[in-house]
Amino acid sequence: MKLRKNFLIILILTLCLLLSVGTALAKPVTITFWHAMSGSRLGVLESIIESFNAAHPDLEVKPLFTGSYAETLTKYVTAYPTGTAPNIVQVYEVGTQTMIDSDAIIPVYKIPEMLGETWDWAQYVIPITHYYSVDGNLWSMPFNSSTAMLYYNKDIFKAAGLDPNKPPTTWKEMEEYGEKILASGVVDHVYSGGWPDWIFEQTLAYNDHLYADNDNGRTGLAKKVVFNDDFGYMVFDTWVRLHKKGIYIYGGVEYEANSAFNAGQIAMLIQSTSSLAGIIKASKFKVGTSFLPRFEGYPVGNSVIGGGSLWITKGQSDEELRGVWEFLKYLSREDIAIKWHKGTGYFPASSGALKTLLDEGWFSADQTYLTAFLQILAGRRDTAASTGVRLGPFVAMRDLFRAALEKAIAGELSPKDALDKAAEKMNALLKDYAELYGK
Amino acid sequence: MQEDRFPGHKFLPYLLIAPSIAVIIVFLIGPFVQSIRESLFVSTPFGTKTIYVGLRNYVRLFSSPDYRSSVIATFKFSAFVIIGGLSISLAIAQLLNQKIKGVGFYQVALIWTYAISPTVAGVIWASMFAPATGLIPYIVSKLSGGYTLNWMTNGNIALFVVATAATWKMLGYNIIFFLAGLQNVPDEFLEAAQMDGAGSWKAFWRITFPMLSPTTSFLLFVNMLYAFFQVFGLIDIMTRGGPGNATELLVYKLYRDGFIHLNTGFASAQSLVIFLVISVVAIIQLRIVTQKAIYSR
Repeated sequence: MKLRKNFLIILILTLCLLLSVGTALAKPVTITFWHAMSGSRLGVLESIIESFNAAHPDLEVKPLFTGSYAETLTKYVTAYPTGTAPNIVQVYEVGTQTMIDSDAIIPVYKIPEMLGETWDWAQYVIPITHYYSVDGNLWSMPFNSSTAMLYYNKDIFKAAGLDPNKPPTTWKEMEEYGEKILASGVVDHVYSGGWPDWIFEQTLAYNDHLYADNDNGRTGLAKKVVFNDDFGYMVFDTWVRLHKKGIYIYGGVEYEANSAFNAGQIAMLIQSTSSLAGIIKASKFKVGTSFLPRFEGYPVGNSVIGGGSLWITKGQSDEELRGVWEFLKYLSREDIAIKWHKGTGYFPASSGALKTLLDEGWFSADQTYLTAFLQILAGRRDTAASTGVRLGPFVAMRDLFRAALEKAIAGELSPKDALDKAAEKMNALLKDYAELYGK
Repeated sequence: MQEDRFPGHKFLPYLLIAPSIAVIIVFLIGPFVQSIRESLFVSTPFGTKTIYVGLRNYVRLFSSPDYRSSVIATFKFSAFVIIGGLSISLAIAQLLNQKIKGVGFYQVALIWTYAISPTVAGVIWASMFAPATGLIPYIVSKLSGGYTLNWMTNGNIALFVVATAATWKMLGYNIIFFLAGLQNVPDEFLEAAQMDGAGSWKAFWRITFPMLSPTTSFLLFVNMLYAFFQVFGLIDIMTRGGPGNATELLVYKLYRDGFIHLNTGFASAQSLVIFLVISVVAIIQLRIVTQKAIYSR
């Protein structure tokens, strides 16, 4: 009996010892970071994190690839209530409202204050911070921001007898150029694109047209969509008509159309700027980039920010939060932002990085990298319509839009019917969302 | 009274099966009960607010035209995969069951599609049919003089392509089982039939096919489960339910509503409906098929 008691005491003591050794070894504060970066982006991200860890012996950022954006958000949603959520999570732009309403995060603008620091948020490229701000305060850290632009194949333009330095600027020109290129017989189809739902949002914003009420859901929860009006019908009609003529060929949900562009089978591509590095690498022709085409005679807006941003889980220890903040500051350091931009094609979020890139001649060496900047910096940024939409059930709404476009292109529904039906379903979703979050 | 199989150990049997029961409760029954419960609620993704809505999720489900078209697409798809897949595999298995030179090579060549992951299979088929760069649209366009075969805008073609890919993916599995079944059909029976003057066609339908019925009924069941549940990966890679929801099969719709749109209540209602449908079909199938199957020689 006594022996057993002694044994127990020894066991407990050993365990205590082991635990204390454990805590001594685990002295660096661990920051977990869930992200959705795969492919070549993953390598760039990992090398940035490695250099951060090397420079901060007391901190360790542990990145974890958690699948696509949608999967990452789903994992975060299920992990948060069980207390296993990471310190930092990367969420795509469509998940912004979900995160704002989550009650699971600390808005980033509050973090410096909580740590007794001050931080100048104006050092970031304004249209980017605008997108992730609520009432002028930044809620998530801009990380991988992109927008959409027009890519075109200069060789095909030349072969079709067009000036390779004059890409179309309006949708009317898209049609005229398209007809000329088709007539020349160089290609079977003229243009395609990715993210049709997002490109529709871009097109509205680029012509300063609202997508949903309550200032695109930015001054209050959106109650209904407003895109199914004359302007929306015109956009939709134009796309369907161009498709019927064979100028446009529907290119799928994400990046499926890039291969057709890279192979020289279409002359133009409307796609995210984050594809730029990949397209330049994969194509054998001269790539041109330009602003998105506009609808003539309508107001000027701006193209919208897409991609992802970093959200900070609430309820962390001060030590962890300090580590998180160090990491966020590190990411916006000039050299790191530049490394990120060059490796991926995403915007460097700080204006300092932009200046350095300009000074070192990065943009004059390859002007295509400048297009997206000029586009967002030249556009207006004082209207909700040009800033972009923020919606609760955004992912489901995009699915509905895409289905509508696909049905209209297939001729199952007239463009107007398709858009109206999608709008009706979207309004039902917005109503449900308001029911849950209504205050 | 039943015989006491564990004399003196009244509780031992229960103890022994307890782990399995625990696993079943924790991983099957628990979640099942929970999804029944959740189907009566709507909640925010983070669970910050939950509202009891009674049967509203079900009412919406059954009044939704999208859900109806999903049901129709699922049945079309399953019929294609099950009927088409099983007939083709049986035909191929019959051919492979002959004494020809190099039959081992053919067997392996036809069976290994099963070893390919859904992702790879999806990518192969999607790139074959890619509207602007794919081989098939190119051939079609050259043969027809300019017709654009675009499965990304034509729902019927998309459903057909996905169903074909799914069938192709399952061929290997079906062939193995049919081949094993065919090899169990005694030659004497077929020889006797031949002596009686039956042609090979008649011999097949009168002797081989009935003798295969245990295999066939098993494969029917497995293929049904496959067509309902396991095609998820293929759809996700190839079409994501598009174009215009044409390939949004029930299980894929559930995934999108539950895991992508974060609408758990609605998705739970859908899972219960799928559960009921599958149970009913499975019971009918097992009743009919097992009664008719010939198990003894």
